Amino acid sequence: MPLLSKLLSGYSALPGRYDELLATGHRPRPHWEAFLGAMAGRAMPEIGDTLSMMEREIHDNGITYNVYADPKGTDRLWEVDPLPLLLPESEWKAIEAGVAQRAELLNRVLGDIYGAQTLLRSGAVPASVIFGHSGFLPQAQGIRPQGGVHLFHYAADLARAPDGTWWVVSDRTQAPSGAGYALENRLVVSRVFPQLFQDLNVQHLASFFATLRDSILRYAPRGDGPQRIALLTPGPYNETYFEHALLARYLGFALVEGSDLSVRDGRVWMKTVEGLQRVHAILRRQDDDYCDPLELRSDSALGVAGLTDCARRGTVFLANALGAGVLESGALLGYLPALSERLLGESLRLPSVATWWLGERAAFDDAWQRIERILIKPLERSASEPAVFGSVLGSIEREALRERVSLRPQRYVAQEWVQVSQAPVIERGVGHRLAARTVGLRMFAVATPEGYRVMPGGLTRVAADGNSYSITMQRGGRSKDTWVLSDQPVNASFSLLSATIGADDLVKARANLPSRAAENLFWFGRYGERCDANARLLRVAISSTLGREDSPGDTPQDSGAPLLELARRHGLITAEDGSAAALLRAATDPALGLGQQLQQLARVAFSLRDRMSLDNWRTLNRVHGDALFTGTGDAPLPVGTVLAGLDRIVIAMMTVSGFVLDGMTRGLGWRFLSLGRRIERLSHLCWALRVAVKEGRAHGLDWLLDLADSTVTYRSRYLVAPEWLPVLDLLVRDDTNPRSVAFQVKGLSEYVAKLEHEHGRFAGDLLAPMKAGLDALSPTDLDPDSPVLLALLEQIQRAGHMVSDELTLKFFSHAASRSVLSLVA
Amino acid sequence: MRTDAVASALRFHVEHETRYDYTAPVSQSWQLARLTPRNLPWQKLLSHSLQIDPPVDERHESPDCYGNSILHFALHRAHRMLRVRMHSTVEVGARPAALPGCARPWEAVRDQVLADASLDELNAARMSEPTRLVPLSPHARRYAASSLAPGRDWFEATHDLMQAIHRDFEFELGATSVSTSVDEVLEQRRGVCQDFAHLMLAGLRSHGLPARYVSGYLLTNPPPGQPRLMGVDASHAWVAAYAPQCGWVEFDPTNNQLADQRYITLAWGSDFADVVPLRGVILGGGTQRMNVEVSVLPT
Repeated sequence: MPLLSKLLSGYSALPGRYDELLATGHRPRPHWEAFLGAMAGRAMPEIGDTLSMMEREIHDNGITYNVYADPKGTDRLWEVDPLPLLLPESEWKAIEAGVAQRAELLNRVLGDIYGAQTLLRSGAVPASVIFGHSGFLPQAQGIRPQGGVHLFHYAADLARAPDGTWWVVSDRTQAPSGAGYALENRLVVSRVFPQLFQDLNVQHLASFFATLRDSILRYAPRGDGPQRIALLTPGPYNETYFEHALLARYLGFALVEGSDLSVRDGRVWMKTVEGLQRVHAILRRQDDDYCDPLELRSDSALGVAGLTDCARRGTVFLANALGAGVLESGALLGYLPALSERLLGESLRLPSVATWWLGERAAFDDAWQRIERILIKPLERSASEPAVFGSVLGSIEREALRERVSLRPQRYVAQEWVQVSQAPVIERGVGHRLAARTVGLRMFAVATPEGYRVMPGGLTRVAADGNSYSITMQRGGRSKDTWVLSDQPVNASFSLLSATIGADDLVKARANLPSRAAENLFWFGRYGERCDANARLLRVAISSTLGREDSPGDTPQDSGAPLLELARRHGLITAEDGSAAALLRAATDPALGLGQQLQQLARVAFSLRDRMSLDNWRTLNRVHGDALFTGTGDAPLPVGTVLAGLDRIVIAMMTVSGFVLDGMTRGLGWRFLSLGRRIERLSHLCWALRVAVKEGRAHGLDWLLDLADSTVTYRSRYLVAPEWLPVLDLLVRDDTNPRSVAFQVKGLSEYVAKLEHEHGRFAGDLLAPMKAGLDALSPTDLDPDSPVLLALLEQIQRAGHMVSDELTLKFFSHAASRSVLSLVA
Repeated sequence: MRTDAVASALRFHVEHETRYDYTAPVSQSWQLARLTPRNLPWQKLLSHSLQIDPPVDERHESPDCYGNSILHFALHRAHRMLRVRMHSTVEVGARPAALPGCARPWEAVRDQVLADASLDELNAARMSEPTRLVPLSPHARRYAASSLAPGRDWFEATHDLMQAIHRDFEFELGATSVSTSVDEVLEQRRGVCQDFAHLMLAGLRSHGLPARYVSGYLLTNPPPGQPRLMGVDASHAWVAAYAPQCGWVEFDPTNNQLADQRYITLAWGSDFADVVPLRGVILGGGTQRMNVEVSVLPT
């Protein structure tokens, strides 16, 4: 196979490392053969296509990983290597058993630490290893979670040593992340290799997530209506928010922030537009000590006041239990083999990387004998005190380190420096060669009453460059899908919908709308409509001032004046700047005008991503990254290009409206979104009409019809050039025209009436007189000189804003500032 | 002080009132009150009441991990004022004497607490770890090092540290706030009882020695002829240090003495955050004004 040898030419792992792909003699390992054969069957350009296809997929799906350190707080796109890491089933079975055993063991250790503390008292675990770790929460002492499950879900970071054995490098016990990214990697990569994926009998991940969902329901207490699970996120600025939204959507959990929950009578409730709804279990992605500002960190603005007490009373199942993070202490690793014998009566299946707690005198002395081959690190991951490799230190630095460590040796561990295995990645660039990169494997387990279940697959993390030892996503690594290759065909007919949901558990969709989500939906409607209206406005304004061959100059003429006035009204250009160049800037600068409003839309959409379809997302992501906004600024885009860009935006916004119209259930969420759209459109229409009426007869009416997307309708009805009476009739009074004032007022009245029917009165009285005013308009009033018309437009516009305010007060007002904390001396 | 007063038990009436006024209505309020004096071998709680105004919507009591009694309460209706009034009658007898017999080098105490882990030592071991308000401080370590000379008797060394703090630092109300760090206090050499207690904890713990934060009260007006003690106008704070043979010995760096019958114990924990008398989370409220009044009278 010439292509195969070409693909492999130049590929080799570093000496002394285990090579995931090749065995000795540069021959592929047996479980890679089928995969490589299929790869080699593809032509090189095809691999290039594959890469671009994946990049497009990732961009469109909006898979991101936020980096805290990034001052702009922007999302970095998730990088996935198309080549999966392959594991033969036999090898996976061993890992599976090891990870499940380890989870069981760690859960028992947690049960002891927060219970009888026998292990500490007998010295099986030095007290300082536990108490000296900031993850130990004294407040969790005595809390026994349902089923004794402290560790509901667990992740182990594995690495392969040169001899081929897998070692556990660290344990993630607090709020392990990555399962969602593993799922997303699978969706992307399996689309790239659909045939291979089937032919190689790759084990599916769906059943793992179904187990997770079923299991959490089994542990959760019952009462106060159907069982409800929430996924608690620190919010959109968290580095793995994408994953929180993805998992919430995939598992059908409500995605909530701390302020969406409230504690009453020792139980946890979710604030929804329907009132308080009991929450029975919380999948927690918030760090332990930030979970409850009342009992834990008082400077936390994120948590739920009183949550700890609810856990204590057993009214909510927390996954994981508070204080589970203490097991992330590296110092525990060295004690696990003995603990396994003692607690499980079994020897530990998966070895940990050799680790010594320096709180033991002998270990401390020993560490300095072997400083060349170890790294020294604090018990807890810390940005200010990273792990130090002994071999890179000079003698003075070594002495300084020893000095620092000896002040509090029990805070440190020494760990053997492992030569971690390497696997192939596709290098971008000419030829798309394979290159070797250090990889680590994150495996996931979830508790069930029948024991821990392990995900058949995992997240393979890839170091940023060939020589790197450490693998972290924050520092810019990539990841891979992990394929467990089965010997037999896998059962692909599995569905996430299994039979654990009984009739009692059927939740009406509307009952799960948190107030915060309702508010975001409302603003999504408003911003979406605003972007649409302003893209149209800029398009008409630019083509009428710049796009015409007979007036190439900068002086706006004819319809230019009212359009510039509107652009000012909507904050697209400043009051002083009336030049046509300003319009171009407003259309193309990502930080101004339209670009800025699209950003607002994207931000609101971002916090709604658990409620949006993938296609909806893709459309929004394309708009957000449109070429219109990626110019350098020093070379203005040609007018034609700008107009074409605005066309794309308008079409995309229509696509989004189409989704809303066609794809959303007509629940409460849809109603809030629609209210937002109607209110915004009404406001834009009123402004346009008011300006048109004020500017009088000097500027023609084509622009107004264009702006209101009603040119075609007008032409089909009237074969004459636009005249005031028919134009105003069409845009003000005709309630069958979706771009008329009457249509918006009618729609608003209907939605408000429905909300009032269920939730009590709040704004219906504001709208009734508007409807009456419109009905009372006589043909003589449809004239720019009519005082009645202008007054009514102003009145209606004001009423629209008041409806918006009343809505906010009635349904979203919980967003009031929170957490004034009091410390009394 | 007359010797018979020291020997026999003293009875006190304690009143502790906390009042919040808010400029805007508070719609929700969750509070934790640690306002129940502890029952101890030398201290008896004869009567106790907590009145909360406006009436609470829910309340329940449970002990925390240090054995302090905590009242959880919440208000779910709009209010502009919150007042919590505690009345207690407490009888305080003599504490177990800190015998000179427990004389051991402080290093032995440190090592034993680390190595041996019977229940008492386990609780003590927890109290030798840094906390958020008393983090590891090289400055505090250096400051305490002159008292904790190598090989020195534990009691003597700890007592010396207490004396040093009293000598080197000036008691000044308002010189610090609840967020002032130990290092800042070391820098400005001024503070209140809470700062001195934290400093002493930092000095001891940085040497691996266990010690806890104790909060409580002192008699408001001293008996005739006795000097008025510092820290009587609000709740007071001091330190209990632990050695295996001596148990917990209570040192008051603010007044440079060991705690006696005049010290009423309210609660203890690893630092001030564990014993805050009233701690809460509220929704709304605008800016708030807080007023605390404490009075301790002999009965």
